[in-house]
Amino acid sequence: MEFKVRACRFNPETDEKPYYKEYTAEDYPGMTVLNALIKIKSELDGTLSFRRSCRSAICGSCAMKINGITKLACKTQVSHEIDKFGIINVEPLANMPVIRDLVVDQESFFDKIKEIKPYLLGQREDEAHNRFHALKEGEKISQPVYYKSEFQNLTGNEDTPNCILCECCYSECGGVVGNKNYLGPAALAKLYRYSEDPRDNDKNGSRLVGGSKPDGIWDCVHCQSCEEFCPKGISPVKAIVKLHEKSVKNSITFSAGSKHVVSIARSIGETGRLDEVKVAFESGGITGLINDLPMAFGAGLKGKIPPLRHKLIKDMEDIRLAYKELDLEDKL
Amino acid sequence: MITYAYYPGCVAQESGKELDNATKFIAGKLGMNLIPMPEASCCGGGVIDGFDKNLKLFINGRTLALAEKDGLDIMTICNTCTLTLSEVNEELINNPESLEKTNEYLGKIGLKYTGKVKVKHILYAVRDDIGFDKIKEKAVKSLKGIKIAPFYGCHILRPSSAVKFDDVENPHGFEELIKALGGEPVSYARRTKCCGFQTILVNEATSTSLAGNAIYEAQEKNADVMVTPCPLCHLSLDTYQTVAAKSINKKLSLPILHLPQLIGVALGADYAEMGFSRHNVSLRGIMAKIRQNEI
Repeated sequence: MEFKVRACRFNPETDEKPYYKEYTAEDYPGMTVLNALIKIKSELDGTLSFRRSCRSAICGSCAMKINGITKLACKTQVSHEIDKFGIINVEPLANMPVIRDLVVDQESFFDKIKEIKPYLLGQREDEAHNRFHALKEGEKISQPVYYKSEFQNLTGNEDTPNCILCECCYSECGGVVGNKNYLGPAALAKLYRYSEDPRDNDKNGSRLVGGSKPDGIWDCVHCQSCEEFCPKGISPVKAIVKLHEKSVKNSITFSAGSKHVVSIARSIGETGRLDEVKVAFESGGITGLINDLPMAFGAGLKGKIPPLRHKLIKDMEDIRLAYKELDLEDKL
Repeated sequence: MITYAYYPGCVAQESGKELDNATKFIAGKLGMNLIPMPEASCCGGGVIDGFDKNLKLFINGRTLALAEKDGLDIMTICNTCTLTLSEVNEELINNPESLEKTNEYLGKIGLKYTGKVKVKHILYAVRDDIGFDKIKEKAVKSLKGIKIAPFYGCHILRPSSAVKFDDVENPHGFEELIKALGGEPVSYARRTKCCGFQTILVNEATSTSLAGNAIYEAQEKNADVMVTPCPLCHLSLDTYQTVAAKSINKKLSLPILHLPQLIGVALGADYAEMGFSRHNVSLRGIMAKIRQNEI
């Protein structure tokens, strides 16, 4: 079966803006989008540029937008795309500048990975013997013992160490679209991965404090795209939410995001409902309130005023019991 | 007559009351019996697991158990409520440990959950339980000639492990509804992207630029109106539209409808019944256009 590939082409040195070029290829059973692109490059147009390496969904090189969604070209079947869209549109990853055609500049992505310190911090006290020193005569190298249970948060199908740094999540992330400085799902999932590693010795909670600063964990827009489009089945957004929970439980609540979450929990604990005015005030403080005053005034004129006092939901004591059972009353 | 446990969520009962009213209007016309849930609590606004994961399970497990006690499925009108209740439902159905823990709490308040409840957003409840054809039959106004930009938002589509109503890569439920009402769906890339609401009180610039760019793209595609299935998206897209315009430094003026309002207009509701005076961006122009379209 013949099918069309419409590839986004752009050479910043010679082209004013990106344009599309269409190619016709012949399908065969099991053909992937990467197979198709390699065929086009070798038989039709050697100038088409794209990254590729392993062809086995493990190196993460061939991530690109295929019919509007970021995927690994080597893991995407031509037949699947043709059945659904009738054509194969290929474009470079979003949220990064284009170097040539489907090749993007990954520097900003890897800078953000470096920013979360993707390595084990310090040394645990019981690892003191591991400090670098010349072995004395007869001294044996001893290894610390870790139990499997210590790694329980790092195992399972959705474990963050499986990340192949393909940038699919980063390309689809709403938070990065809105804020170029946002660290993004891959870096923050890695932050979670290290914060849960029993070998990490982050005595001062610097990972959680650093992650709570602007452009960090609280800037996630919860669009769920990172989970949906991760080719390795990882859920960065769930890792980010676990970091939220961990921060709140460790009283790292200086950011507007954490205040927002605590305020919603407090509102539900008090009335069973979400008190829009109170949550807005407690999250943004006086500055936020003044900032939003013109918008709030306009909405007020249209009658969009939430009640100042909320009626309790029926059987409110059920909700209070939930907080009591979970020992959360002192966190409000 | 199809009966649902009706879970409007908090915003539709507060600043977004026009959505609740429009939902009740169309439910009456379409034979949907909505049983109120006065005991139901807030779902946690999509962020409560950032406070405590088990609290999310307990309070939403309680809402699911209340519906199960009455033998009803839940109908929602908010994307985030839909996702939160669906996620908890999936967790309780698939994780015996979570179910046991939640039922231990529910047992103390005289409830139990066994996983029988389905959570349905109104868009897909209307599609699957009523049928778009039935709406077409009942419509008294046609939306012919109106270019309508559907804005799905996130939580009605993603993650598809929890919300399974539509094709996450290329959804079409919304477009099918618009076509059934005689309207012309506008195709634009940001229809399934984020409105930014979840960070509106945390990082307003990020949030409003997302909403602003979605509105701008639809406007550039000559949309007359945008429609959203979520009151939180509506706040971002309509209430904050002036802020969004400043944020992206573009002129924006696109009326934003709640999904039930779109159906309500086709079913003959007037301007006041749909609460259009509560919108930031005026709907008078678009309503005047629709008024001429008698079927």
